[in-house]
Amino acid sequence: MPPAEPAVRPADDAQLIVAWQSGDERAATELVRRHARAVARFLAGAGAPEADLDDLVQETFIRAFRAVASFRSQCQFRTWLLTIGGNALKDLGRRLARRRVVPLDDRLASKDGDPHERTVAGETEERLQRGLTRLPRMQREVFLLRAQQGLEYGEIAAALDTTPGAARVHYHHAVKRLKEWLK
Amino acid sequence: MMHDSGPVHDQELRQLAQRLGAAAADRLDVERTAQAVLARLRAGDAATRSPIQWMQPAWMRAAAVVVVMLGAGLLLHYHIHHPTTAAAGIDSTVTGTTAGELADFSPGQLQDVLAALNEPVETTPLVHAGDAGVEDLSESQLQSLLRSMEDY
Repeated sequence: MPPAEPAVRPADDAQLIVAWQSGDERAATELVRRHARAVARFLAGAGAPEADLDDLVQETFIRAFRAVASFRSQCQFRTWLLTIGGNALKDLGRRLARRRVVPLDDRLASKDGDPHERTVAGETEERLQRGLTRLPRMQREVFLLRAQQGLEYGEIAAALDTTPGAARVHYHHAVKRLKEWLK
Repeated sequence: MMHDSGPVHDQELRQLAQRLGAAAADRLDVERTAQAVLARLRAGDAATRSPIQWMQPAWMRAAAVVVVMLGAGLLLHYHIHHPTTAAAGIDSTVTGTTAGELADFSPGQLQDVLAALNEPVETTPLVHAGDAGVEDLSESQLQSLLRSMEDY
């Protein structure tokens, strides 16, 4: 019986980053495939309008790939991407505020898509979504990274350049306020 | 499943948060997003390689330093090998020149002017040291001197 060939392990993020830095576009494509949905979910949870979601995800990856040399593995690549996405969303909010077409909170909290789906999702989910847009940015991002993405406080702290203790406090403040709004 | 009324528990809040944005993320066309990201990166790289953007500030500063050093070297070389020509040029240039006309000077001429101003001025003393005593002045000269001091 011939010896079994060793299973080819998929490259981890660090290997793909190195490959991208040496010009391998397939590595960049693979990184987008791996993390795009998580980034989209985080951005949508943070209040990104669905009409702008694709653009925001693209912008997040472009910023990340251009600044990848500054990524020092202080946190996971995905967590780093999420914080970049948060910055891209903040910049979008500023642009929308300058245009003054639609009040910022209304625009960011707007829910596109199927009305039936919205009904199924429930009024509570919509209230949570709206409540998140009313939280300070740090509380909102810590809450999403913890509750939606399931990250540990240490990881959150490294990504947001704060301490685990401070991240924990932000999370509890966010939870307290969200519960008040959801009563 | 969470109720729409009543207190919200931590676990329920977490489950709710996990569902947030899930539908929108599912609708995302990941392959199309990946291709768009690559296209935009390529477009950005092409723009970065354009000649104007290539000239980064650091390169500009380095180039400016080289130009200044070359200019200073040439001036020094000129002064070492043509000291008299430079001084004569200054004398003839400065005489009868107004400040406004300095603007028309070349960098070399301006450098010559500055060098001339730094040289010690040779002047004939108006009063010899031995003539400085007040006691040697006549009465009219003393009166004239006192008047001039009062005016001053």
